[in-house]
Amino acid sequence: MTVVPLSPVRRWISRTQSSHRERGATLNSLYIGALTIAIIGGMLHRQVAAIFWPSAPDASALTAGSLVAVCYGLLYLALRRFGPLALSRAAASWLLTAPVSRRRLLLPSLRLTGIAAALLGGLAALAIAGHAAPRSEAGDEVALLVTGGALVGLVLLLVATAAQAGGRWGDALDRLAGLVFAAGLAGLVTAATLDRPAVITQWPPISALLPVVGAVALVVIVALALVIRGLAATPSDRVLDASRTAGTLFDTAFGMEPSFLTDMIERRFWARRRLRSTPLFPRLPVLVAQDLLLTLRRRTRLLWLLLTAALPVLLGGAPGWVLGAAVLAGCLIAGLTASGNVKTDAGNPVLLRLLGLSSRQAVLQRLWVPGVLAGLWAAIALTTLDLLGDLAAGPWWALGLTLGPVGAAAAVHRARVGFVRNELLPLDTPMGTLSTGPLVNAVMGPDMLLLGIPAWIAIGSGELTPTLLLLQAIIGVGGARIYLSGTTGDDRTELSN
Amino acid sequence: MVDHPAVEVDGLHVGYGSTPVLVGVSLTVPAGGGVCVVGENGIGKSTLLRCVSGLQQPDEGTIQVFGGDPGATPEFWRAVVTTVEPPTWYPGLTAREHAELVCRAHGQDPSSAGVDEALERFGLAGHADAIPPQLSSGQKQRLVLAIALLRPSSLLILDEPEQRLDREGRADVAGLLADYVAGGGSLLMASHDDAFALASGAEVTTMESLSAGTP
Repeated sequence: MTVVPLSPVRRWISRTQSSHRERGATLNSLYIGALTIAIIGGMLHRQVAAIFWPSAPDASALTAGSLVAVCYGLLYLALRRFGPLALSRAAASWLLTAPVSRRRLLLPSLRLTGIAAALLGGLAALAIAGHAAPRSEAGDEVALLVTGGALVGLVLLLVATAAQAGGRWGDALDRLAGLVFAAGLAGLVTAATLDRPAVITQWPPISALLPVVGAVALVVIVALALVIRGLAATPSDRVLDASRTAGTLFDTAFGMEPSFLTDMIERRFWARRRLRSTPLFPRLPVLVAQDLLLTLRRRTRLLWLLLTAALPVLLGGAPGWVLGAAVLAGCLIAGLTASGNVKTDAGNPVLLRLLGLSSRQAVLQRLWVPGVLAGLWAAIALTTLDLLGDLAAGPWWALGLTLGPVGAAAAVHRARVGFVRNELLPLDTPMGTLSTGPLVNAVMGPDMLLLGIPAWIAIGSGELTPTLLLLQAIIGVGGARIYLSGTTGDDRTELSN
Repeated sequence: MVDHPAVEVDGLHVGYGSTPVLVGVSLTVPAGGGVCVVGENGIGKSTLLRCVSGLQQPDEGTIQVFGGDPGATPEFWRAVVTTVEPPTWYPGLTAREHAELVCRAHGQDPSSAGVDEALERFGLAGHADAIPPQLSSGQKQRLVLAIALLRPSSLLILDEPEQRLDREGRADVAGLLADYVAGGGSLLMASHDDAFALASGAEVTTMESLSAGTP
């Protein structure tokens, strides 16, 4: 088969696209981009410095090791989730099917993701060193560590690229990366519970660092050569999948509509699963049975949810109001894991009409499973905090359970929101024009967490009184009840707010 | 309910912008009877069905379904099944579980309602464990029809139910619709296939004959 040279095709596409743009449009975009980064950097430079290089080290050796697992595990999982090699939608449609060199077609994508992976790897290394390493004159060591981090980022990219083109071992590796990430989180929680964790007192010597970084560089060079050689063998379906992901990400960012991405992830998850029909629990109301079945089918997600119940421990040293807000946010997230069916019904009520249920019956049944999950999550999270001494002794598990209706109402409200309304009037602020549609969309759901104010006060102060517990129980159940009667009806089926 | 015609449409006007689609359309579907509207694409068959289903407001005219206004009430949707709009399937639920869910929501026992038999009849027994998005468009169409016929109803409003079905599938569906009408159900559908319409036990009529004027 004749292979058409790709460079002239790309040049022609670029030239034709440029001819449709206004003169200087690209320079203008670059200028605005650079200016935005400079302004945000100027505004947030203190916070950025605190993230990457605080004035004094504040992390133990265990925290540093755990952060390595969390950061690089997450980087690998993100690379795999998004491709890593992808083409634009247009290139996937027209160039992937054209007789051009597949290797040359994918090389720019490899270059771009390589820069991103190296940058993220380097920044992660800088931040971890900044938090854990002692403050002394150690410029060479910092440079070597950052270089090593960037090289590890590249190694992860190359492994992810090979997994994209490879067989089922990629899935096994993904599970391993998930375990590394989970172990990192567990390490962070453990480090937060230790009274006197071991700290790093001196920098690793250059003589030890240099050979390690050199070896990693050698691995990168060899792996890069192998990956580039095998680039042409990347199956089209994997590239197409990644291109759809990239396109959806662009749509999500451009339309400020996160549901595009979450819907795609959901569709892909179920498309890969092999299911077996099971009777819907006959003793439960039909929609509760459906939600329960769906939740039980996502056991991995439940395990992650259980793991995240320990994460508030990381905020044990933070101000009480932050800890309280984190627990309430966790209730919302726990509830959202079982609110997918509400989202389906709110987006398209065809099946709800077929079921012949009123919106009140439907929402009442849909509140149960998110409520149980939110209540149990909060009970476990608060009991953990209680056992570790971050809260004064008290029946915190009971407070957690009373947060169930709050999490349920917030999650169901969030699932009923629908698309971002970009037609809402923008606000003129001293910082520029602010689009209100995404803001309104973002607060719908979290706004129902206001029903958890008594719990927030209790967690914030660290003291749980019987009055606050009772108040939370009444406000939680009463608020969810008012939400149900105020936003649904017995005379309609539609769920949209 | 039986005192009134299943559907009574009088003087219906619907337009999209400045383009009139339905002009003075009148139609009656007797309770326990079937009517099939035929006509070429774009003549307004689907618009008529959407209006009768209460999913679109007409510019003028009256529509009565079993003597009442078509609406979004649960009572209306317990009596009426329509396939005018394609469903968004529940994620993570198989084809069989969708059928069981609908049966149970109407208080039916899935086994006595004949979920498995219905899937078998519509050629979906081998796909009972598939999630609907994995099915072909014809299989999805058959699943919708299977579920529509499984659950209790008094009126079926079907938009081109023969679409994406093979010849045997069309004959089977036509037979089931004829049984539905013979069992006292009412049927309003739009179709391109006169033979299918006749086999369904429906009276065939054209959009022109229903309309007071040509759009």
